[in-house]
Amino acid sequence: MTTLPTEAAAPVVPATEPPAPRPQKKPRLVGTTAWYVTALFICAVMVVPLLWMITIGLKSRTAVFDIPPKLLPTEWTWSNFVNGPEAIHFPRLLLNSTIITALSVVGGVMTAMMAGYALARLRFPGRKVWFYLFVGSMLLPGVVGLIPLFQLYKSIGWYDTWLPLIVPAFLGGNPLFIFLARQYFLAIPYSIDEAAKIDGAGHFRIFTQVMLPLTRPAWITMSILAFQASWNDFLNPLVYLYSSEKWPLSVGMASFISAFAGQTPDWSYYMATNLLYMLPPLIVFFAAQRYFIQGLGALGSTNQK
Amino acid sequence: MSTVSRGGLRRTRRNRGGMSRNAGSDVKAAYLFIAPAIIGFTVFVVYPLIRSFYLSLTKYNGLTDPVFVGLSNFRRLFTVDPAFWPSLRATAYLVLLYVPLSLILGLALAMFCNQRFAGVRLVRTLAYLPVVLPAIATITLWKFIMNPQVGLLNTILERLHLPTSLWLQSPAMSMPSVVLVMLWGVGGTMIIFLAALQAVPNELYEAARVDGAGAWSVFVRITLPMISPIMLLQVILQTTAALQTFNQPKILTNGGPGFSTNVLMLSIYNNGFPNLGRIPQLGYASAQVWVLFILIIAVIALTAKFTSLWTYSDNTPD
Repeated sequence: MTTLPTEAAAPVVPATEPPAPRPQKKPRLVGTTAWYVTALFICAVMVVPLLWMITIGLKSRTAVFDIPPKLLPTEWTWSNFVNGPEAIHFPRLLLNSTIITALSVVGGVMTAMMAGYALARLRFPGRKVWFYLFVGSMLLPGVVGLIPLFQLYKSIGWYDTWLPLIVPAFLGGNPLFIFLARQYFLAIPYSIDEAAKIDGAGHFRIFTQVMLPLTRPAWITMSILAFQASWNDFLNPLVYLYSSEKWPLSVGMASFISAFAGQTPDWSYYMATNLLYMLPPLIVFFAAQRYFIQGLGALGSTNQK
Repeated sequence: MSTVSRGGLRRTRRNRGGMSRNAGSDVKAAYLFIAPAIIGFTVFVVYPLIRSFYLSLTKYNGLTDPVFVGLSNFRRLFTVDPAFWPSLRATAYLVLLYVPLSLILGLALAMFCNQRFAGVRLVRTLAYLPVVLPAIATITLWKFIMNPQVGLLNTILERLHLPTSLWLQSPAMSMPSVVLVMLWGVGGTMIIFLAALQAVPNELYEAARVDGAGAWSVFVRITLPMISPIMLLQVILQTTAALQTFNQPKILTNGGPGFSTNVLMLSIYNNGFPNLGRIPQLGYASAQVWVLFILIIAVIALTAKFTSLWTYSDNTPD
């Protein structure tokens, strides 16, 4: 807590420095040094916890509780990366998470693109009304639906199945995606669909063969956001899933460290598995970094005008 | 918004120009395209909104039919329940601690990363990294980092001869600790500010430089006004998200010690979906949901109402 305010104060100085034009050597050098020192500090805050997690994952289960704590393991217990996932039932949780996430990404992106296409490029009565209703529903906090939907799912036999986690995505579950899709469709020249129409293409063909290739950045961005949302979701599976063999990773991992009956969780097993849990989002992030930045940038710039 | 209405106009004009032959099929196709979203809107927005308002006026355990009791849930909340005011106070404390810090740190980080230095992309990537990682993975990691005996935080503080703390286990430090964990994800705030900063025209800075403006006045008179619409968006996004914080207190402290981190969301969850052996109070929890909902609407309305006072908008026709 004590270190953070200095981090906030320090960057302000070099941040506004470029406007000072005088080419004096000394202040520039000081500014550059200050920048790199701050940069090093920021990187350390972000990375050290993760490195520490890996060292815990390599320690034996008793070495974790050595006092005073050692930063590096004395003996490297690589077997944690095999035994840990096994103790947590990682393979099954991973499979569950993969199925749930894949289906909700496909559903969420597909229905949002369809709705965005209609709202941006087709003329029909009620277009504006539906747009404002969808956008307005972004303001509705998710918790309002929790209790009524829980009862609804229970009454139609969906409790303790994956359906409550997947079906809403196929019904335009994320209004933000509809908004982003519409925004992107509006930017495409209308002469393109007119040309396609003259060539005799119907709406379905225009949508799948003309529009989807043109809007690739939009749906890749949405897929990433949807992937993150589903992979990270904790409250919904916690409420809707009862049997542990149906849990996704988020609930399964969290339950491993909530101590049952005074038993201390095995932290070295846990941290080794935690690393595996982090890997899929990490891979997606580094493979598609530009879309992460673009997607949120689009949110920023569309709201600015 | 102006681009939207202009697009609408352009299309109506074209509509009169002879393209209306297909209007009938357009309407049908359009409703086919948005049908899933309309069904979803009805089932997942309209229905829960009405139903949850009704449930908040009933006594309901999820097994027998709800019994209408009028406003007695709300009366119980505000006058009888010993846990409600502490949970409201904890939520307010969290919002007041998290939102300003997240905005200040996010903006500072964005300005820091909006400069030309070799390696700035690496800093930006690493600052955004915690946002990408699964929330549960990072929260559980921090739970162990904040372990008073063997955690990383106290180990480092001890080596630097700084005072250590019990963090999550001390009633005074538990909420600041939860906020600290949330602030590790400040990269999310940063990235939106960064997009806003990059949209500020460079000429403004150049003009200010010619006029001899200092760093501070450039920040206050150019940067802040130019990004004020994004600042508004951020205030709304961060405040509504902070009011609904659930994962961090649930996993880090489960509301304790005492009621110190028992935020409204956690209280709703515990009343509506209690551990086995206790009866769910779904009507009562719905009343709490509505208190939270009204708080969120109030925040949005107030922020939007005072917008015209402090945001800059470009009214020049282009």
